[in-house]
Parts: sequence; C-alpha cells; structure tokens
Amino acid sequence: MNDLYRALGDISSIRKQVANTTEFRGYGPATLAATGAFAVLAALVQQIFVADATNHLWAYLAIWSATAILSCVITGVQMCTRSRRIHSSLSDEMIRMAVEQFLPSLGAGLLLTIVLVHYVPTAAWMLPGLWQILFSLGIFSSCRFLPRPMLAAGVWYLFTGLACIAMGGPRALSPWAMGISFGVGQGLVAAILLFSTREVIDEV
Amino acid sequence: MKSKSSPAEGRFAYEGLDRIIHERARLSILTSLATHPKGLTFNDLKQLCALTDGNLSRHLDVLEKGRLVEILKGHDRNRPLTVCRITATGRKRYLEYLSTLEQVIHDASKQVANESESLPRGLTPSKA
Repeated sequence: MNDLYRALGDISSIRKQVANTTEFRGYGPATLAATGAFAVLAALVQQIFVADATNHLWAYLAIWSATAILSCVITGVQMCTRSRRIHSSLSDEMIRMAVEQFLPSLGAGLLLTIVLVHYVPTAAWMLPGLWQILFSLGIFSSCRFLPRPMLAAGVWYLFTGLACIAMGGPRALSPWAMGISFGVGQGLVAAILLFSTREVIDEV
Repeated sequence: MKSKSSPAEGRFAYEGLDRIIHERARLSILTSLATHPKGLTFNDLKQLCALTDGNLSRHLDVLEKGRLVEILKGHDRNRPLTVCRITATGRKRYLEYLSTLEQVIHDASKQVANESESLPRGLTPSKA
C-alpha cells in the first residue's frame, strides 16, 4: 500500500514541477479590463456622491471595498473556469499557485485598511497609495508565471501608489487617484495578456 | 440490434496509457523535457536520464516520429549543439498519460484496501 501512496506522491510532485514551468493563462483579458472599468465607474460614483471623502471616510471605503470585492469575485470565478479549460489537468495546481502569489498582498491590504481606519484615522489619506503599492507587489510576485511585460503593470502601480502618497493629504482621496490608477493599470494588464498570448495550444 | 453496454464496460481500459510514452526511458525523457520547457541539450538529457548516446538517439527518434518532441540542431561556439524540446502535443499527451497513471494507482489502492478489509483481523497477507 505504501508503494502505491509513494507512486501517487511522485505523480503529484511531477505535476507540480510541470506547473511550476508553465505560464499561467487563467486571467482573462476581458475580465481584467472590466475590473478597470469598474474602477472608473467607482470614481464617478465617488465624485457624485462622496465629493468630500476626508469627512466621509466610511462612504469612501464602502465604494472602493465594494469595487474590490466585485472585481475579486469575477476575476476568481473566471480564473477557475478559464484555468480548467486551458490548463485542464494542471488547473488545480496552477490556481493554487496563482492564489498563493497574490493573496498575501490582498490580505496585507485588508489588514492595513482595518488598522489605519481604527487606530490612525488621520493617516487614512495614505490608503489609496498603500493599496496601489501592495497591488504592485502582488503583480511582481505573480510575474514569474505571467508574460514578462507584466512587470510594466507592476511598475505602473508602484509609481501611481508613490505619487498618491507624494500628493499627501485630502488630495490623495480624490476619486481619480484610484480611478485613473486602476482604470489605466487594469487596462494595461488586459492589453499585456491579450497581446502576449501566443498562438500555441501548448497549455493543457 | 445494438447490445447495451454495461456501465462498467471499459472501466479498466486505461486508453490514456500511450504506448509511445509507456516505456521507462521514454517516460524519463518526457518527464525531463516537460519540466524544462525551453529544452535540454542532448548531453544534459543523456545525463538526466542515465542513457547511452545510442539509446537516447533511438528513443528520441521514436518520440520525434510521434511528434512528442522536436529536435533542433544548431551550433554553439562553432560546436554542433542538439537541443531537444517537448512539443505542445507531447506536453498534452504526457499530462493525459500522468492522469491515467494516477487513475490506475487509485484503482489499485482501492482494490488493495478492499482486500485487506476482507482479511480476518490480526492476519496480514504473506510476502511471497
């Protein structure tokens, strides 16, 4: 019986090695472009309903948290279906690796938001910049399994995050600090995925 | 009249156990190449699979005819260099093979578990 379990373990480790050297195609360009559009829509909603975000921090957080949750859900659902179709027998392994790479930055962003809002509300203006920096770190850590030009998207988010912090104060909470960063950034990610898709059927 | 096939028919057919891949040396070649998608030189592959030049050439020939690998001949610093790479088809068929092999082992382990459950307590099958 032990030999059989060992054989299953060997097959699983071979599959992991193959997955480690396979480019991840689970992120769909159209879905990621849609998340960019959500960011622009959220910025419009903020501009209309929460013009003074400094004094209505909870409303600001509600708009952007809802946008983030919606984007995560549709990206996650599409990642699972697309990965099962493209990577078939490697899909579970590939999804696990993709989540492992991106989840720490999402988790850090969530915890940072809770801590800043509860304990240092005066520093809440830093949130958009910090979210973008953490998002860039998530992209950098996922780059190993994504097309090489994806580094450009990581650099974009890092740059916009630093720019938000450099702006300082209430200006950092302006709707377009998030709307432009994520609208353009997700558009860039979608374009990179779309144009770097090679015409091969080697993904299994 | 068409006879109705029972649901268990073909249960253990294991069609995915590709005859070309189901050979120790070729399986080891494909495993090496599947984990190195950019390819391996002939010499690296020879060392990884512990094969002689002749054996490796023979098995690569079979795999190339089956379109599972491609062999690229070039030069590196005026020396001839042969690089072997797994093809898209080869990668797909190799992963299908792994899935079938996994199914075979699952089926076997279920059978072994059933057999050991049916044995009287305290008795273990003798090792022949």
